[in-house]
Amino acid sequence: MSHSFEKLNSVDNIVEALATAGYICNEQIATVVYLAAALGKPVLVEGPPGVGKTELAKSCAEVTGAPLVRLQCYEGLDESKAIYEWKYGKQLLYTQLLKTQLAEVMDGAQGLRESVERLHSFDDVFFSKEFLEPRPLLQAIDSEQSVVLLVDEIDKADFEFESLLLEVLSDFQVSIPELGTLKGRSKPLVFLTSNDTRDLSDALKRRCLHLHIDFPTTQLEGRIVRARVPQITQAMTDHLVEFVSRVREMDLKKLPSVSETIDWAKSLVLLHADSLEEDLVRSSLNALLKYEDDLTSVVDNLSGLLSQEQKVTDA
Amino acid sequence: MNPVERANQDAPTDRLLAFIEFLRGRDILISPADSLVAMEVAGLVGYSDRTLLKSGLGSALAKSKFEVTVFNEAFEQYFGAPKSDTDSDSSTPNQTAEQDATALSPQELGEQLSQAIQAQPELAANLSSELVDALKSGDEAAIAIAVETAAQQVDVSAIKLLTQRGQYIRKMLDALGEQALRDAAVELESTEPAAFEAVQALREQLRNKVRDRVDRAYMVHASGDAEDMLDDALSNMSLGNVDQHHRARLKRLLERMTRKLAARHGRIRKRVKRGQLAIAPTLRKAMATDGVPFQPRWRKSIRRKPQILILCDVSGSVAAYAKFLLLFLHSLQDVLPRTRSFAFSSNLGEVTETLRALPVEVAIERVNLKYGGATDYARAFEDFARLAMSDINRVTTVIILGDARNNNTDPRLDLLAQIRSKCRQLIWLNPESQRSWGTGDSEMQGVIRNCDTAAECSTLKQLERVVDNLLVELNS
Repeated sequence: MSHSFEKLNSVDNIVEALATAGYICNEQIATVVYLAAALGKPVLVEGPPGVGKTELAKSCAEVTGAPLVRLQCYEGLDESKAIYEWKYGKQLLYTQLLKTQLAEVMDGAQGLRESVERLHSFDDVFFSKEFLEPRPLLQAIDSEQSVVLLVDEIDKADFEFESLLLEVLSDFQVSIPELGTLKGRSKPLVFLTSNDTRDLSDALKRRCLHLHIDFPTTQLEGRIVRARVPQITQAMTDHLVEFVSRVREMDLKKLPSVSETIDWAKSLVLLHADSLEEDLVRSSLNALLKYEDDLTSVVDNLSGLLSQEQKVTDA
Repeated sequence: MNPVERANQDAPTDRLLAFIEFLRGRDILISPADSLVAMEVAGLVGYSDRTLLKSGLGSALAKSKFEVTVFNEAFEQYFGAPKSDTDSDSSTPNQTAEQDATALSPQELGEQLSQAIQAQPELAANLSSELVDALKSGDEAAIAIAVETAAQQVDVSAIKLLTQRGQYIRKMLDALGEQALRDAAVELESTEPAAFEAVQALREQLRNKVRDRVDRAYMVHASGDAEDMLDDALSNMSLGNVDQHHRARLKRLLERMTRKLAARHGRIRKRVKRGQLAIAPTLRKAMATDGVPFQPRWRKSIRRKPQILILCDVSGSVAAYAKFLLLFLHSLQDVLPRTRSFAFSSNLGEVTETLRALPVEVAIERVNLKYGGATDYARAFEDFARLAMSDINRVTTVIILGDARNNNTDPRLDLLAQIRSKCRQLIWLNPESQRSWGTGDSEMQGVIRNCDTAAECSTLKQLERVVDNLLVELNS
């Protein structure tokens, strides 16, 4: 087993490399990525929606040049969709095609017992690797080159599925009853993301490094917006992130995430805005807030939020 | 191995292990495997960069949002503010001496002491040990090693109680040979005031070092135990008797119990998902494929969701208990089925919305204000029957919390019987101890006849047991 994550060999390098991929991160995130690559342990990324959990895995894949294998979790996901499945169609087709060969083998056999014994003398050809359909998890460990494996929204999958993951994540191998244990050929860099809708099992937690990504500081968010929306001016960015951070302090159903800040910044650029006018904010705010209730409560306080923010930037 | 080498080699790993022990004392579960990972992490990121070490260890040891906050706090506390202590960082050599009112520089100290030795040669032995030299020159590394050696001699890690601090400080000072300095100070006090001051300064400095060491030992080895003891006592104490200043701790305990119960019961409910083969629909579906049952159909089991109705007495005598029951049940909303809450003293009203809309603490205060007063079960039951009787069915669990003391008026137990006949189970929780049930104006004997379970719930432990049983029952 080998690694191909040379680019992830120090914390500073990771911060830099991810920045070139457009992912601005703090030292904490970089530290965990570095440890994951060095220790070969999966990373469990938790945090509110839209803070860039999935994006982190994508950017790591981009930076290292490793292919990204993604497994989106949902209720009812099982091993036949996540790990492997037998190619039933192929098996059926082959038995049909090999009918004549089978007839030859059985030629002259006396009675049922002898026929079955003759069949036994052949290997389990129909349950060999050729008839195995690899699903994302098997693909990830069976590839020649190390890949980045993203198991997205693990909290949406059933509880039983977590147990299935354990063998893959800790030993990078898969046990198939008909074949025995398949050892992986390379060690993937694994990211699991969770929105915290339910608690994950202790067994899974124990095998992972933990990373909690929270809403970024205004400074960091400013840099993220600038990286993602290059057309926006510095002054405008400052206003924008300050305003968003104030909105996050309010009691809302869903707090605006980083991705929504970026969306809003993009729409403001499209509207050729160069400052946060009250009317403009009012009309474009639905890029930032997704619930009617939230929208009204922010609009009600809009002048207050804007003037507060003005004061801060003036000072 | 001499102490210097040992301090240099084992110190970081030992400290890391002690830190892990410290975290365990604060309710973070860390398995030996986790500690191994933490060691590997520390080996990779090194001990020199504090923030790096913090985020690295955090990723290996703190496994939930709750644990992250605890970890961050503990890390700051344990590894102190960003300053080096045992390393011989020469920028702060005589910090303690400077804090002293009679601040003396190392040279002055040395001069004073040598003068004293000249004046009274018999004190020379007392004032010229290695330790005194280290103290005089402000050699932090040497002092730290001496203190550490003394700490091991007196086995300071065995400290259990806060009150043992003084005793351990004394023991360590004796092990360090502070006696000699003390004797010298006594000799010099009358004859050489300046030298006396110098010796006192040295003693003070040494004492501070030793006290810090003992405090750290207490924090690491004992504070967890002491906390456990207090927690244990609190969860067995009647909720009404808990002091105001222990309320916060009680709330924390309750949160921990909630987490435990939620983890234990959150998963079981999935078990009923798999159905049995439904023959008729399968055959019907098979008609399209010439009778070959390609697509099996499954029998769908329709489960009616259980429902809980809670009636809480919020009159003065029971309010404290009601508060905790409501807190408990409402923080368990993830694993509990639909819960509706009612509060009563003389009249009764539904408070589900209030509890949902406001933070539980605030909501309960408000409920108390609105419905608090003298208890009248008859009116409460009448109100309840009017509000919710039609909603009670075979999947409903009704929980009533009250002391069943009705000021010698008719409690209308017939209404209670009616409620019981309509619901799946009726649980009565009484904060009074069983011995006093039925005494005085208590209607508890009649109540017991009219409910499925009657239980005592004055302490947190009892409350936990009740809710645990309830969840088992509901999930089966």
